[in-house]
Amino acid sequence: MVAEVIPLHQAQVNITWQGANGDLPDPVPYDATDAEIRAWATEAVRAGVPGIVADRRADFSDFVVDRFPANNEVPHNRIFVRPKTPFGRSSLR
Amino acid sequence: MLEVAVVITEGDVAAHFHLPPGRSSGSIPDTRDLWEVLWSHREELTGVAHTHPGGGAPRPSWEDLTTFAGCEAGLGKRLVWWIATRDAMVAFRWTGPSKHDYAGEPVECDVLPHTHWLHQLRALTYGENDGR
Repeated sequence: MVAEVIPLHQAQVNITWQGANGDLPDPVPYDATDAEIRAWATEAVRAGVPGIVADRRADFSDFVVDRFPANNEVPHNRIFVRPKTPFGRSSLR
Repeated sequence: MLEVAVVITEGDVAAHFHLPPGRSSGSIPDTRDLWEVLWSHREELTGVAHTHPGGGAPRPSWEDLTTFAGCEAGLGKRLVWWIATRDAMVAFRWTGPSKHDYAGEPVECDVLPHTHWLHQLRALTYGENDGR
């Protein structure tokens, strides 16, 4: 099981892309930067992730990274790469 | 006045009014909650509307455009992104070729079936007295 193999300082990464959802096969450092995690997600989805069809156009620049530490229910750190959702009033770029 | 968003599903149903803490007269913050609503309704989801301050025809901010593109990439489907002010509403859809290329089309607010959720959206945004 994933919970048995992910060290304390690492995290399981879940990615949502094109209506599908999958985990990176390998854990990543929990303290990796958001930019690093988005870059790894991009590389992985372009090559293919279990649960997500490989997509050479994968681009996570409009996505954010959520982090959830291990707890009683899920005994390993988790990172989620999901679309951003804010709306703002700034001028059209 | 505080900006509000509403998630619209098939049949022009307002599935969820989004009023998160931290919203202001000029912005709605990023929340995982809204993404979870969009994901849970992804099969029947048709679009999201949100409000801007003031009146006149609204234009999307860069923040808006990157949210439109990100959510559509995550969901794997194109949506309608309405933006409403006190007296106008515009429906934005992706046109391409860039992922941030969206074009707007004015909506006749008083005659289309959006009327029921638009009234509520404006009421929640501008206050009951200005919400009609």
